[in-house]
Formats: sequence, C-alpha cells, structure tokens
Amino acid sequence: MKNRMLVFACVTTVIGFMVAVQFQSLSEPSSRDTRNMGELRQALMTEKERQQELNQELDRHLEILYQLEQTEDVEGVMAEVMEELEHQAGLTEVSGPGLLIEVNIFFDENYSGGAIQTVPAYLLRLLINELNIQGAQHIAIGNERIVSTTAIREANGRTLVNGNWLSYFPIEIKVIADDPELIHHAMMSSQSNELFIYENMRFSSTPMDEVTLPAYEKNYRVRFMEPVQEES
Amino acid sequence: MWLPVVGLLLGLLLGFFTDLRISEEYASYLSIAVLAALDTLVGGTRAQLEKTFDENVFITGFFTNIFLAASLAFLGVHLGVDLYLAAVFAFGVRLFHNIAIIRRILLTKWTTKRAK
Repeated sequence: MKNRMLVFACVTTVIGFMVAVQFQSLSEPSSRDTRNMGELRQALMTEKERQQELNQELDRHLEILYQLEQTEDVEGVMAEVMEELEHQAGLTEVSGPGLLIEVNIFFDENYSGGAIQTVPAYLLRLLINELNIQGAQHIAIGNERIVSTTAIREANGRTLVNGNWLSYFPIEIKVIADDPELIHHAMMSSQSNELFIYENMRFSSTPMDEVTLPAYEKNYRVRFMEPVQEES
Repeated sequence: MWLPVVGLLLGLLLGFFTDLRISEEYASYLSIAVLAALDTLVGGTRAQLEKTFDENVFITGFFTNIFLAASLAFLGVHLGVDLYLAAVFAFGVRLFHNIAIIRRILLTKWTTKRAK
C-alpha cells in the first residue's frame, strides 16, 4: 500500500513539475522600466513642460471667462476671442517680420537625369518640420498657407499642398517668426539644405522686415470634434 | 493518502523555483503531456478504488501515454493537421468518464457507510 502511494506521489510530482513549467512558459514576461536616470529626467522635463503649457492655457481661458463676466459687451469679447482663434488657425492674412525662402533648380555640371518638375513631398515636409523646430510661427508655400490639417502629397508626379498643385520653380516659401535671423542661419546649415542639393535643388533664404502670408482659403474639415451643448 | 498531495506540491515548487521556460512552439506538447499524465493519474485512482490496481500497468501507462500524446502532436505538426486535438479529445473524454466513475464509487461507499 505504501509502495503504491509512493508511485502515485512520483506521478503527481511529475505532473506538478510539468504544470509549473507550462504556467511559467505561458505567463507574459513582466515588462520592466529600463529607462536610465537621464531618460527619466527627460521624461520628467517633458511632462513639466506640458504641465506649464496646460497651465498657461488654463490661465488664458480663465482670463477670457473673467472678461466675459465683467463686461456687458459679451459679443465684443467673443468677437475678439474668435479673431484670436482664427489668427491662430491660419484663417486670416498675417504679416510681420520673417523669412523668404526661395527654392530653385540647381544643376550639377554633369547632370544627366530628366527634367525636374516639382519639389518632392518628403522634402517639403522635412523643410516645414525644420522650420517649425526653429520656431516658425506661420508658414506659407507659394499661395498655400500651412495649417494644422494641411496635407502635402504627391499625385501624378507633382506635389500638392492643400490639394492644389505647387507652382513651377522658383517656389517661394514665406515664414513669419520672432527672430528671422536665427532661422535664416539655422536653415542655411540645416540637413534639408543638403537633401535639396541631392535632389538637384537648392534654397536660399533672406530675412525680411515684413512678409505677408495669405489666409487659408478652404474650409477646415473637422472630423473628430463636435460642439458640446452645455446643459442649462 | 497525503503523499501524492505532497508530491504535487513538491513538483510545483520545483517547477517554479527552477525557473525553467520552454519556447512557445513546444508548449502544446507539454500541455498534452500534462493531460496524459492527469488521465493516467485519474485512471490509477479509479483502478485503486475498483481494487484492480496494478503498479506495472500504471507506470507503463503513464510513460507511454505521455510519449504517444507528444508524438501524435509532433506528427500533427508535420502533417499540417491539428492531430493533438485528437489526443486532447480522447484524454478529455476519458478524464470525465473516469472522474464520473470515481464519483459514483465514492458515493456508494458513502451511502453504504451512512446506512450502517
């Protein structure tokens, strides 16, 4: 009888072992936080910056609320806010100190490719990204104002901005910024400058005291937002 | 009676503490082996209760069942047919069958004990 139980015990030991191994193999490996001190600090910094931005926005809204509460002329304040928002969204013409970037064809002596018709979309995107990194406030390519929903695409070998063909060379890009000189120097030594040369193009930028950017002409297509009706 | 339970706990502890892991493609083999082992265990318990237990049958059954089940799964993988499902089905049915018989035996034992 004792012997029999021993055999049973051996079998159950084997079963237990197999079950444990199976459990361990199938359980998800727990993901660990592997960021080092520097990365953690950086993450903390971004979060703090975000907090600051949110606080600023909150202050702005509170101020608007205060104004609305204080003044009799609610419509006036509303109109002001509306104007400010339209300005931010790029629906108004703006002018100010800025930069004029002119993109033109630039051939090597022994160039042997075909005709160059348009700036590739990826180069334009790169340029806009670099301008934004350097602190550009408003950008327009040719007559097309760049807004938050602007699409830069390529169709039939030509580049479209906001759904319109890009004009032929030279292409003018207007930028409004607080410090045009800074952007000018940054752009002339930027990575996009080299990439433009690879595509047989080059751009030159000139700081201007006053540039005027056209307004965004089309309607904004708002797809993922809808007005909230406040319950009264 | 407590010896098998101790064995089970010992096995579990051993398995968890050795931190052994097998890759995912072999997980199905192991699961089928566990099923085969469980089937043998339950069958052995049933035989014990029916007083037809034979150690040699039990031990050989344990190993051949595991081996057969794993090789069936292996064959299934190489034939592109989920043959291991056949083993799962067979073992599942037998498990339930044996457990039902064990339950009945225990129930009759209990009722006769109460009748006394």
